[in-house]
Amino acid sequence: MRVRFWGVRGSLPVPGRQTNRYGGNTSCVEVRPKGDWPIIIDAGTGIRRLGKAMMETAFGEGAGTASILISHTHWDHIQGLPFFSPFYHRGNEIHVYARQREDTHLMQIFASQTEDPYFPVPLSNLRAQIDFHELMEGTKFPIGRAQVTCTRLNHPWIAMAYRVDVDGASVVYCSDTAPFNDVLLEHEFIRTPPQVGGPLDPAIAAKLAAMRASLVQMCHGTDLLIYDTQFTPDEYRQRPHWGHSTPDDAIMVAREAKVKRLCLYHHAPNRTDDQQDVILDQYRTVIREAGDDFEVLCASEGLEVVLGDDE
Amino acid sequence: MSGQTSGMIVKFYGVRGSIPAPGPETNEYGGNTSCVTVRTSSGHLIIVDMGTGLANLGTSLLPTEFGQGQGKATILLSHSHWDHIQGLGFFPPVFIPGNQFTLYGHAKSSSMLEGILEGQMNPNFSPLYTLKNLGATFEVRAMTGSTVVEAGGARITGVPNPHGSTTALAFRIQEGDRSFVYASDAGYPDSGPSKEALALYKDATVLLHDTTYTPKDQLRRRNRGFSSYVEAASAAVTSGVSHLVMFHYDQDYADTDVDALRDACRAELDRRGGQKILLTAAYEGLELPI
Repeated sequence: MRVRFWGVRGSLPVPGRQTNRYGGNTSCVEVRPKGDWPIIIDAGTGIRRLGKAMMETAFGEGAGTASILISHTHWDHIQGLPFFSPFYHRGNEIHVYARQREDTHLMQIFASQTEDPYFPVPLSNLRAQIDFHELMEGTKFPIGRAQVTCTRLNHPWIAMAYRVDVDGASVVYCSDTAPFNDVLLEHEFIRTPPQVGGPLDPAIAAKLAAMRASLVQMCHGTDLLIYDTQFTPDEYRQRPHWGHSTPDDAIMVAREAKVKRLCLYHHAPNRTDDQQDVILDQYRTVIREAGDDFEVLCASEGLEVVLGDDE
Repeated sequence: MSGQTSGMIVKFYGVRGSIPAPGPETNEYGGNTSCVTVRTSSGHLIIVDMGTGLANLGTSLLPTEFGQGQGKATILLSHSHWDHIQGLGFFPPVFIPGNQFTLYGHAKSSSMLEGILEGQMNPNFSPLYTLKNLGATFEVRAMTGSTVVEAGGARITGVPNPHGSTTALAFRIQEGDRSFVYASDAGYPDSGPSKEALALYKDATVLLHDTTYTPKDQLRRRNRGFSSYVEAASAAVTSGVSHLVMFHYDQDYADTDVDALRDACRAELDRRGGQKILLTAAYEGLELPI
């Protein structure tokens, strides 16, 4: 399979010279099983160009089938959907997967993204056949030849991590999540940053530990772990309640899960290319000195990683 | 900065339409969505539209009184499509208690407009959950046809233009005999701009006008409610403006496409007898004294 990055940025698209190399589009990754339909993870602004590329294939004739796995519906993970060209062509079949909400059907959330007065084309006017699939953590399901599993993350309003197994290889997409040490992020708005390293209520600590254990288990032995590393350690200490991790957190998960490659992802909007270079160098040194036997990559727009039988 | 300048200063933070377009091919004009500021002679800040350009504006304001929670600004919202509101949650001054923002936009009532902005912030879409978590004072007021806003010594009026299935306000900001008109997202019927819109544009020192498309691309996307440079040139000549500024380029247009759009617009102005009208294609960072 091939894994290709179309958007690697977190929170907000950031056009400009200082992001030309890593890219300024928000989250979107394409997983392409060999000879099969694409499985897209997240629909930030990066999905616009992916959609255009897909229109050069069967999707341009209204004969394509695609699946989109949504980590969560925060704007930077869905804002490209109304600009996804295959939606506008009759005959295409698109399956959208995301976590079930307690109070609202998934479709209604996506419909409200494009209803008047936010966008000129409502969901009901799209010509492709769009099916919404609600998931809960732990659900296992097939997409074509691929097997997909999911587990929940520590993020406001709850995000999901996905693992895709196909062609004798696997990839895990883990964005967005805070580490599992300082605060439990669910439905409540947390106004004041909690103390990093401070004592936790035992019940909360147990819930976080279980969430992390499920994630480590899902990541076990994967060929490629894509992980939210938006923060530096200093930035995390100031905003532990924002729901993002550092490369240090990602390395600990990668180490415990014995992954083969770790990919830094969901870069902070204010991070310049030169700063991102420094971060990558720094953490390559960290794992070399620690004697880790996995590789560290940094996601950039256009980066393609070939895994498994295609390798 | 108050009292130091004579005349208003317009500055551009986002000039792109519909969705941000990052990449080397948009480096010259910029890929951020709509956001323009007008600094009045007295130093008051007026922000027009809250696209992603608002984030860079916010960062630039932090060393000023806005970083101390002592800033006051007026925000004019043309309409609430995502590309005109999505910068709000990434505007650092709005999280600093003490800052005061008054937003004017087109709606039947202030509470309806506030509800629209709340919809953007709801927890499905945003970790902010609600406007009430912003920190700064954020007052929302409906602007109807007859509303006149006085802000920092400037007089602001608005006229709704058709924009696909909705409407977008065009604004005129007037100080003495100098005026800046902002008319983005304008999709006129075949009969052209309304009498009221032409009156708003009349004799403007600077008219910023929607030039999303070439006429050819516009033809294929007529129902989206955007102008081509032809409508912009026509409105500029008919209204007798001194300076036309092109704005809100399609997300697929690279810098070289916008260069061509500007050359075609120049030719269109000249063809219509507007040889004396100055023409500028807006880019991020552009500053225009009025």
